[in-house]
Amino acid sequence: METPRITVGMVLRHLLMLFILLIFLFPIFWMVLTSFKPAEEVLTRPPTFIFQPTLDNYRYAFEDADFSLFIRNTIVIAGLSTLLVVVFGSLASYSFARYNPGDGHIMFFILTTRMMPGIAVVMPFFLIFRDLGKTPFGQALGLGLDQVGSLVVAYTVFNLPFAIWLMFSFFQDIPTELEHSARLDGYSRLQVFLRVVLPLAAPGIAVTAIFSLMFAWNEFLFGYILTRDAARTITVGVSGFQTQQGILWGPLAAAAVVCILPMLAVAMFLQRYMVRGLTFGAVRG
Amino acid sequence: MSTGSVPLPDTSVNGSTGSKAKHRALSDTLYSVFLITPAMILILIFALVPLAYAINVSFRFADLTSPRGVAEWVGLENYHFALNDAFFWSSVQRTLHFAIFAVVIEMILGVAIAFLLNDIKWFKGLARSLIILPLAASPFAVGLIWRYMYHPDFGVFNYLISRVGIPEQNWLGNSQIAMGSVIAFDVWQWTPFVALIALAGLQALPKEPFEAAALDGASRWRVFRTLTFPMLAPVLTLVLVLRTVDAVRLYDAIVSLTAGGPGTSTEVLTFYLYRLGMRFFRLDQASAMALLFLYATVVFTGLLMRRFMQNMAARTRAKQ
Repeated sequence: METPRITVGMVLRHLLMLFILLIFLFPIFWMVLTSFKPAEEVLTRPPTFIFQPTLDNYRYAFEDADFSLFIRNTIVIAGLSTLLVVVFGSLASYSFARYNPGDGHIMFFILTTRMMPGIAVVMPFFLIFRDLGKTPFGQALGLGLDQVGSLVVAYTVFNLPFAIWLMFSFFQDIPTELEHSARLDGYSRLQVFLRVVLPLAAPGIAVTAIFSLMFAWNEFLFGYILTRDAARTITVGVSGFQTQQGILWGPLAAAAVVCILPMLAVAMFLQRYMVRGLTFGAVRG
Repeated sequence: MSTGSVPLPDTSVNGSTGSKAKHRALSDTLYSVFLITPAMILILIFALVPLAYAINVSFRFADLTSPRGVAEWVGLENYHFALNDAFFWSSVQRTLHFAIFAVVIEMILGVAIAFLLNDIKWFKGLARSLIILPLAASPFAVGLIWRYMYHPDFGVFNYLISRVGIPEQNWLGNSQIAMGSVIAFDVWQWTPFVALIALAGLQALPKEPFEAAALDGASRWRVFRTLTFPMLAPVLTLVLVLRTVDAVRLYDAIVSLTAGGPGTSTEVLTFYLYRLGMRFFRLDQASAMALLFLYATVVFTGLLMRRFMQNMAARTRAKQ
């Protein structure tokens, strides 16, 4: 073992890393900075770095554009769909990991359902929910156009394939011996799943929840097509600052901060758990 | 790593008389089907119904601006139209142009950053937590912020490059460089993805071969070429597939950055489908093109993922 010494190469590498971080963080910094700019400082030449900060843009976003409604909608939609994805996804994923129904073919089929470009299926989704919204069943569950239920279902369906693939390797890593001995102790199959398997797969479930939440939070196209006002989500809400006079960049930046920052916080604190999820468990991060 | 050839211990709970084993296999099958049922119902309804709708429409005449709406059966006419449509092919070409450049740059930069992250000592954890941030930002919302930064007169990019003596550019308004600007945005958002996964791959490498190589006095380049790269290759293949499948479906960033313009210089396939289906209401032609695209993606992924999936299935069988 060599004693760690501070060499020129090492200093240079750290400086290079700092420079790279600076580049990757600059757009986020610029968004936050712009969100605090007074209206007359937003479009200046050259752009200003120092100014009297103001909350006007945030006031505009929350009072004129009703961002508090968008936030409430997004929390309900992202939260509920994440819950459904975790429940249905973990049941299915466990089944594939343990019993392999369909011998891999159903797994691949599930993956292919995510390969259709969203733009090609958004019209059928629109028609399905338009018609469902007219039925008593659809009305009871809020499954119509401009209703939160539709987006909950849509995002659940989009996230399920990913979730099933993602949790697969976590379930596979659980030794079957544990399940067999629990069965011998008199647990039913379902009890084994709930009391033995699920707690051991907790990291995988956490990763799945993070990704489902992020996807639902950041999704644009379906949120845009399936909602108008009442069920509008925050990401779509950011598009609402284009006026006759042009784009209101200040309020837009404030809205973008409100939209983006929660997911940045999630990613930053849960980063170490995410890597394995990003590769379907092929790499243990 | 397959353990299929190793004789497995008998894992059935109640011993192994023939009828009991058969009974167990049957109830295993029933239980496995029971577990996947809720998810499969949702996926089948909401993946197959839209797909069936698209397939149906792709064989009919469907112009939503005409009072006839989805009308008569026209056979392969829409596919014939798609394959002879110059706009379709040029949008495919732009999609590939975008995907190849974006993914190649992301792979090279991402792997380089992964090596750097693996090498540094002082703020490793913080750097990992910070580099992931672009990944978590909504592509649509942060795309609008980039549009603001790309602004030809008031944008911060022009200010920054003019400070170092580079002439100002009309980043999104010049058809020569607009695609490059979109690629730059994508590289910003997705290079961290490649970097983090390559880093995890690097950290999972076994130590021994590298120690042996060091004892043999192998050069750094030789170690990289003969040890690091081959061992990293499976991980990099997976990243490549994931990024490519995602890059060819680019949509949100196009909406917020350029809306396909100027002219059609950044009109990738998804955006052309949007224009055809949602503005010109030619759902028939748009559906035919989307399905052609879907077949191509499924075949591409199927070929590249086959090994990966066979390994997974082998692992499951070995465990049973």
